[in-house]
Amino acid sequence: MNSRERILARIGQALGRPGDPAPAGIEGHLQSHPRGPRPVLEGDAIARFRERAARMASDVAQANAMTDVPGVIARYLEQQRLPLRAVCWPALTRLDWRAAGIQTEARAARADDLVGITGVFAAIAETGTLMLLSGPDTPATVSLLPETHVAVVEVSRVVATMEDAWDRLRAERGAPPRAVNFVSGPSRTADIEQTVTLGAHGPYRVLIVLVGGA
Amino acid sequence: MRVGLFVTCLVDLMRPSVGFAALELLKAAGCEVVVPQAQTCCGQPGYNSGDRAAARALALKLVGEFEDCDYVVVPSGSCAGMIRVHYPTLFRDEPAALERVRRLSARTYELTDFLVSVARLDAPPGEFHGVVTFHDSCSGLRELGVQRQPRALLARMPDLTLVEMREATTCCGFGGTFAVKYDDISTRMADKKCAHIDASGADAVVACDLGCLLQIEGRLRRRGDHATMVLHVAEVLAGEEGACG
Amino acid sequence: MRLEAVQFRRKAAEALDNERLQRALEKFPSRFVDTRAAALAELGNTEQLRDAAADIRARTLRDLDAWLRRFERAAAARGATVHWAEDADEANRIVTEIARAHGVRKAVKSKSMVTEECGLNEYLERQGLEVIETDLGEYILQLAHEPPSHIVAPVVHKSKEEIAELFEEKHRKPRKDDIAELCREAREELRPHFLGADMGISGANFLIAETGSVLIVTNEGNGRLVTTLPRVHVAVSGIEKVVPTLEDATTLLRLLPRSATGQAITNYVSLLTGTRGAGESEGPEHCHIVLVDAGRSRMLGTELEPMLRCIRCGACMNHCPVYQNIGGHAYGWVYPGPMGAVLTPALAGIEQALDLPNASTFCGACSEVCPVKIPLPDLMRHWRERQTEQRLRPRRERLLLRLWAWTALRPRLYAVVARAVARLLHGLGGSDGLVHRLPGASGWTRGRDLPAPPGLTFHALYRKRRGA
Repeated sequence: MNSRERILARIGQALGRPGDPAPAGIEGHLQSHPRGPRPVLEGDAIARFRERAARMASDVAQANAMTDVPGVIARYLEQQRLPLRAVCWPALTRLDWRAAGIQTEARAARADDLVGITGVFAAIAETGTLMLLSGPDTPATVSLLPETHVAVVEVSRVVATMEDAWDRLRAERGAPPRAVNFVSGPSRTADIEQTVTLGAHGPYRVLIVLVGGA
Repeated sequence: MRVGLFVTCLVDLMRPSVGFAALELLKAAGCEVVVPQAQTCCGQPGYNSGDRAAARALALKLVGEFEDCDYVVVPSGSCAGMIRVHYPTLFRDEPAALERVRRLSARTYELTDFLVSVARLDAPPGEFHGVVTFHDSCSGLRELGVQRQPRALLARMPDLTLVEMREATTCCGFGGTFAVKYDDISTRMADKKCAHIDASGADAVVACDLGCLLQIEGRLRRRGDHATMVLHVAEVLAGEEGACG
Repeated sequence: MRLEAVQFRRKAAEALDNERLQRALEKFPSRFVDTRAAALAELGNTEQLRDAAADIRARTLRDLDAWLRRFERAAAARGATVHWAEDADEANRIVTEIARAHGVRKAVKSKSMVTEECGLNEYLERQGLEVIETDLGEYILQLAHEPPSHIVAPVVHKSKEEIAELFEEKHRKPRKDDIAELCREAREELRPHFLGADMGISGANFLIAETGSVLIVTNEGNGRLVTTLPRVHVAVSGIEKVVPTLEDATTLLRLLPRSATGQAITNYVSLLTGTRGAGESEGPEHCHIVLVDAGRSRMLGTELEPMLRCIRCGACMNHCPVYQNIGGHAYGWVYPGPMGAVLTPALAGIEQALDLPNASTFCGACSEVCPVKIPLPDLMRHWRERQTEQRLRPRRERLLLRLWAWTALRPRLYAVVARAVARLLHGLGGSDGLVHRLPGASGWTRGRDLPAPPGLTFHALYRKRRGA
């Protein structure tokens, strides 16, 4: 017997059913994937998302339509005295960045990129959280390596809870991609004297541009 | 209503006034009180030290002594919790004994819980002039939900003012044999409790468990505080503080 | 990690005298207790959630073998390789072999308690690998050659001045005194390591059987870097971390960060499934998952099974009045506080940790806050009972207990003894009514007086009154 077999045999023995009978409930539970208790979220999901995202120290800006997004981002970068130069998701190249004065490169991020622009798969109102899926056109490093992360969120992507996001993932993608990243504000640490400091290994700031629904 | 009073071994030995105060309060609430004379200890020291056999023997002894009472009332949250919560687990593999133990466990109450929830004592007979702060004893609080009951009773005393100290529900560091085995940690825990009592400005600290009171008074006095009174809630409610001896 | 739990008493005494540590520990009530309470209060259904969370963990453990098989199948289908380790040594060997097979020279690591159990870093270093801890707290400890003192806030025992000194010495850069500047300096030191590492080693907060995924929560983002940049990702996890579905994990996630740090959610929650996909220019090309038993399966089917529900939030230690006074190092191994008092004897051996399950007042604060409702005092009592059965308690203690029980079962004798002791203690009381020194129980009077009893027992007085 190898370690795998020994461990599994020991577990089966301890549980009082040696051998390998797949208990009946397992496939049923996977099929139905029941939801646990969820908090009651009062009011409008988009307003809740906005409020929660701010509480997690994300900056939130509004754009009326996708075409306005580059302008909104340009203004934010200028306000923050950041360069108008960014790495962005290949999925976002259809926007007219040049008109807003932003120089973009569509690729995965490198260590020296200062600003990264991404979309999202969903945004979760309960906690003000962004949900990003990795993929060839949506590289995960863009939301991770630069000191500033800008996320473009169309209001149609706002869902109430993480459970709603999983359902959307199953419906639209089937299985999860290599990485599903939930992002709630800039990276932070409280390891030194339990004092919260923004900007640990990931971004120092996160701008969320909400598109539509204003 | 025939109530069996289990005074506890600690009260028997260290502070009989608590037992008489409890007796007084139960009578004031209209109960017929019996005090079985063969009672000794609920078995908690053995149980918490890992000696299950000793705990079981003492549990059966206690059950036998109180079986004919409608209720068992205990002026201690930890001893009441022992009987109410832990006795059944001692006999979980013996259906016959378990049934018998359960019947008694279900009728066992911490004193203030009994006075508020069952006997409905409206007017505590004692008098107390001054400011008190209340320390929540761990077992009573977390095993039996004793928190509002003693406060409700104290609130019915016209000349008594209750002020809450910080971290009233944090352990005082007694913990039975813990207090002697790990005396340095235990003393530090008591120190923090004493500081909160001190900061509350109360004339007296009150609790439902004599173990906590010995711990708190022992440390307060060693710290040089000889003024703050350290009282069992029964003593305050019955007006028995300092009496008897 | 070296096991030093047998030195509990000495280390606890040192901790009580360590002023820097005491200052750090003073922050626990406000930083951990109050924030947790506030984060849970806003949910409005904490008890319902705790019940659901406990139920998910308990049910999964009842079919643990089946869920692990299901997880393995799903992970393999996505290109991950699942390894099984009986003990720490085998886990270390597996990781080393993976490193060798992929020509790894440098590994970056995010926080993982099971690898602390295994002593993985030291093992890999002995094999000639460079291993860098990247969680800020763990990085500081690696520089200082110290073990963690808390499972969530590993460096809670250190002041910023100590860290400033350490950075100045190790980084050879001008001393920084501001916490934000210290954090930036660590970030700048660690970035090149992330970029240059061949292998990333992470733990797993949960393994998702449904999707074959590893789920990791972090705040700093180092967990993301470790699992994204290097070409090899190795996740090391205890076998008990498996949960069935994404929804089950979500229920647990509502409680984990709230219980740990009072956050509604951690900054990052990453669900990692398999290897780099077709057309992707990033992400690990190789993914290995090491499932470590190391004593866990032996707990199944015993009284200790509920301990396997633990999700490592640290709430039990944050709320433990003993931990709050002595910190984590006194517990002498990876897991401090109440969960350590139960887990250390289970994983490392009962005789290796005799003090741990005894050094508790059974106040119950731990089980009151445990998100998965582990009855921690009951499980500590379990160990006390095993110690008694195996005659591991000191002879004097056993003798006293036996004498006490024997007497308490004989009411007449007991009454005589009680009266004698009451008289004796009364006599020892001075003019102030206090016993200052108690022969035979000097532990009590070292730091406390004993209010002297009035001299007659309750039962003696009661008989007198009734007779009168």
